Amino acid sequence: MSHEASAGHGHEEHPPTTIRQYVLIGIILAVITAVELVVSYYPPGSLEIPLLLGLSAVKFGIVAALFMHLKFEHKIMTRMFLIGIVLAASLMIAVFALFTHDDTDNRVLPDREAITAGAGGH
Amino acid sequence: MAAAAHDAGHQTSLGVDNRKLLMWIFLASECLFFGTLISTYLIFKGQSLVGPFPGDILDIPLTSTSTFVLLMSSVTMVLAVYGAQHGRLGLMRGMLVGTILLGTTFLGFQVYEFRHFGHVGLNLGTNQFGATFFLMTGFHGVHVGVGVLYLTSLLLGSMRRSGLGKERALWVDTAGLYWHFVDVVWIVIFTIVYLIPE
Repeated sequence: MSHEASAGHGHEEHPPTTIRQYVLIGIILAVITAVELVVSYYPPGSLEIPLLLGLSAVKFGIVAALFMHLKFEHKIMTRMFLIGIVLAASLMIAVFALFTHDDTDNRVLPDREAITAGAGGH
Repeated sequence: MAAAAHDAGHQTSLGVDNRKLLMWIFLASECLFFGTLISTYLIFKGQSLVGPFPGDILDIPLTSTSTFVLLMSSVTMVLAVYGAQHGRLGLMRGMLVGTILLGTTFLGFQVYEFRHFGHVGLNLGTNQFGATFFLMTGFHGVHVGVGVLYLTSLLLGSMRRSGLGKERALWVDTAGLYWHFVDVVWIVIFTIVYLIPE
């Protein structure tokens, strides 16, 4: 039974995590960050971005589930948060579509060397 | 106890405290807020015509250190919540102080970074990178600042004779939700801005 649900019936329950476990989770988060740095400095080719996003998602999940106690809470809390995340993701997709649709000709990296050379020539 | 009775009055028919539910709904709305800022940054990524460019000025070791500091503040925050829930007020107060100090240190790193960028000629109006970078990380910094004030008010409240006891652990728990959210937002920003190449 979740903490809040039981609290409503007069009992006091808390997440079963101990101080030692919380510290261990913190160390795991720090290690994942270190791995991210290694991947960033020594990129494994095309895997770099998926790997970095994956590690970031793992950290996000650990903090939300164990530090924010979503794992132990009433499911409505998780649903509320997921609604926000899904809406945010939808918004991001919509904004990308809005700014990039029919504009593929202009979605190229600018030729900075030419711009810099041009500025130097004046 | 009076405080317990007062808190019991906040239970909904689901058995969920409405103050906690409200915090989750607020955090869900914040997802949209930061989602918009991150989208804008990504849309303009690599589109700046004049420098300084991200690759020229972003100091990844420095920001990694500040990221580590913020991650550790999440550990101290969750221990403060643990202390409040288990009636260990000394632990709660100590960890709240630790979280406040770590949060302030993170803000110090951000102020240093912003000042450094200003000195090398990057500000809000310099290019697309400057506009979107300062807006996104600046708003995140404001959230950290609000969090530091929020936790400071809890700490001061806990020192009053009728202050935060075990019965009112939910106040610390709710503040913890806000603080952890600020942390997870930074996890995303750090990856997108600093780690993923232009």
